[in-house]
Amino acid sequence: MMSSNFANVMTANLKSIPMSSMPASGDEEDRILRVWTPMLLRSVLAISVTLTSAGIVEAVLHWPLGHAGAPIADLGRTGVDHLPWRAFLEAAVRGDATATATLGLMALTLVPLVRVAFCLLLFLKQRNRIFAAFTAYVLAGLTIGIMLGRIG
Amino acid sequence: MLPALTMLITLAVASGFIGALSGLGGGMFIVPVLVILAHVPMQVAVGASLMSVVATSAGASVAFVRDGWTNLRVAIVLECATVTGALVGAYMAGMISAPLLELLFAVVMLQSAYFSLRKRDTDSIPSSDKLCRRLGLGGSIPDEAGRPSRYGVRNLPGGAALMLAAGVMSGLLGIGSGALKVIAMDQVMHLPLKVSSATSNFMIGVTAGAGAIVFLARGDVAPMIAAPVALGVTIGAVAGSKLLPYARVPWLRAGFAGILLIVAAEMGWRAMSGV
Repeated sequence: MMSSNFANVMTANLKSIPMSSMPASGDEEDRILRVWTPMLLRSVLAISVTLTSAGIVEAVLHWPLGHAGAPIADLGRTGVDHLPWRAFLEAAVRGDATATATLGLMALTLVPLVRVAFCLLLFLKQRNRIFAAFTAYVLAGLTIGIMLGRIG
Repeated sequence: MLPALTMLITLAVASGFIGALSGLGGGMFIVPVLVILAHVPMQVAVGASLMSVVATSAGASVAFVRDGWTNLRVAIVLECATVTGALVGAYMAGMISAPLLELLFAVVMLQSAYFSLRKRDTDSIPSSDKLCRRLGLGGSIPDEAGRPSRYGVRNLPGGAALMLAAGVMSGLLGIGSGALKVIAMDQVMHLPLKVSSATSNFMIGVTAGAGAIVFLARGDVAPMIAAPVALGVTIGAVAGSKLLPYARVPWLRAGFAGILLIVAAEMGWRAMSGV
């Protein structure tokens, strides 16, 4: 019964959408897409690049030079494997190279999240419930990834 | 540590450069480079590649959204399928053995080499089918005279099915699956070429982001490999895209398809012989 009610609601919503593409809210959509989204994306990207670069520089300055034949695979043996969050953030603040670089990589994964969040904002402003629901699903998927990784 | 880091960044820049010139993406080259040349475990190479795809896509998509070629509605609808696939793929990557992943990667490289040489369909359609019309997926782009010209979209279920597969490949193998995404939008859903490329680029970062989040949370991203790779591939990709307007693209594509074939054979051999 619930599934048939849901189907009825979805069909009714679909029928209410006009035949032409959804009316843009003009200036507001333009501002969100062409001003705020690029600005925020660039800011998050800049933070990520700064932190990852800082982590690499810290590693070069504080880690042993190693012999000339040191394999790249050895770089993968370092990590902040499953440190509690507090300990991880304290390590990054202290200037731990690996923690700083990891923080930068985490910031990088915020970029797609922010991108999708702005799309959700756009569709909510347009009062487009169908596309807001689609976007919310994508955003939920990106968030569920964290839980999947923890149990995987 | 410095020699290893320098070598890693150099390899990453080269992979990003070749990926941009060939149109195949940095992930297609950095994973085999890390596995074959640097002897990095496959899962770690995939995690590093996913981060580099997110980084490369982040910069590029700012321009596409700003310039108005991206069809956001198509992107979001298809992203529902792609993200689902990416989460499944990334989760499975933690359970599948490295040789099997390498074999799958070899198969995907062959597929990418084939698609990169195929002629692209340049015909768009003026009207959408019923479902796409109801969802308002069509849009308009300027024609040669600069006038707005409407285009339609068709076969959303077919496109979504391909996107699900693209997402699984992305999460499993650390690639953007841009080729498959463009084919889905270009030939299955009949979007204009430039719109499908821009929309695909918008989607690639989100798809790779989903996989990257799973890898990060699972601890399969080695920061001191992923960080230099992400920076290096992005630098290489920017350099490659600057050079692209001056390059003989068909010859380049043929050349890089040949390289892909050789590397695919190497990856396949490694997987079969358990090296």
